[in-house]
Amino acid sequence: MRPRPGFDPASLVAGVIVIALGGLLLLDQAGAIELRFAYALPAVLAALGGIFLACGLAGPPRGE
Amino acid sequence: MSDEQPTEQMPPDPPRPRLTRSSSDSIIGGVAGGLGRHLNVDPLAIRITFVILAFAGGLGILAYLAFLVFIPADDPAAPPARWSLARIVGGGLLTVAAIAILSPNWLWGPELMVLLAAGVIVYLLVRVMRDDGASQVSGIAARIAIGVVLLALSVGGFAAAAAGSALGGGIAIAGLIVACGVGLVGGAFRGGARWLIAPAIVLALPLAAVAAADLDVRGTWGDRTFRPASVAELGAGYEMGVGSMKVDLRDLELPPGRTELPLQLGIGEIQVLAPADMCVTADGNISIGAFDAGDGEQGGIDIDVADRWSVDPGVRYVHLDVDLGVGAVRVGDHFVDRGDGPPWARDSVVREVSPGTSRAACEGPA
Repeated sequence: MRPRPGFDPASLVAGVIVIALGGLLLLDQAGAIELRFAYALPAVLAALGGIFLACGLAGPPRGE
Repeated sequence: MSDEQPTEQMPPDPPRPRLTRSSSDSIIGGVAGGLGRHLNVDPLAIRITFVILAFAGGLGILAYLAFLVFIPADDPAAPPARWSLARIVGGGLLTVAAIAILSPNWLWGPELMVLLAAGVIVYLLVRVMRDDGASQVSGIAARIAIGVVLLALSVGGFAAAAAGSALGGGIAIAGLIVACGVGLVGGAFRGGARWLIAPAIVLALPLAAVAAADLDVRGTWGDRTFRPASVAELGAGYEMGVGSMKVDLRDLELPPGRTELPLQLGIGEIQVLAPADMCVTADGNISIGAFDAGDGEQGGIDIDVADRWSVDPGVRYVHLDVDLGVGAVRVGDHFVDRGDGPPWARDSVVREVSPGTSRAACEGPA
């Protein structure tokens, strides 16, 4: 299945990951949860890994 | 017929142009243009050097004025330099006055190095903008300039996000990260918006570090010593943002049973000094740092401080509830001299609490 014209799957995946990470940090800052290094570090690494993986698999953005 | 091969004659170097002020490449008085032409150096680099030296005790302004006066113009029909002179004197004086007001210690300070670096960046950027990109030098300059600017933006954004989070702006920064994510998702259907990944990461990394370290640097900054004499003076405990918190309990009259003492510090050191016959227990959390009450130091990240001995019934004791972001907690019953303080400190000798509390003080009468 070919991606739709004008659609960038890497941006979509990265956006979902960023929203999840931002939501996690928002919950911590709002006092709903308490982040500690034991979970924050893996969460950040997983987010970065997911973003890089998505961009790598999707290839360069359209137009490059 | 001669065997000699004709040799290629190297063209002689063109004579160096005479040092004159340029009338064709002039912003103020044509000094930089003329110097650049004479020295075969980009006039833009000379202009930036003049600006930088202007911050070094006004040397750039004086040098420019001297060149303006002593170097003749290349166009004999050019108008007298007095209007240019007036412009540069007026502008220079205003610049010097503004800098002197804003930063009185600007003469030859470390700011000069910053200005030099800024000058190089400005030069590279302007060259890139002027050049059509055809030359190799332009390409290298473009990459260096863009790299330096991106690095500066990243470091600045990282520091600003960390400071903003620690100062209580974490919710706003987390909101910005979510907004970047929403922008990425929305942009995905319009060809992509991957550029939003960079600001999201620049904001998320420091906020995550601040959140995990539970840093809250709001409140008092500096060195504070608290000497409560009664439970009423303890109030709800002590809270500081950044610095050294010393709590001297030697004058404290304890009521029967347990007396709670919450201690909260964002970054720094907490020292609790208790008399030898006072039972002190503690629990709490230190995100990064160490806790030492004399019976073995706990250090690392996510340290849970917990009581390691029980208190016999009927004993009057203080229970410390420690909440420290980054730093160390020491609990002891006497001071020791750590050594000479730094040259700028008021006290010549640094004294600190020697970790160690008495287990016997927590035992009731036999």
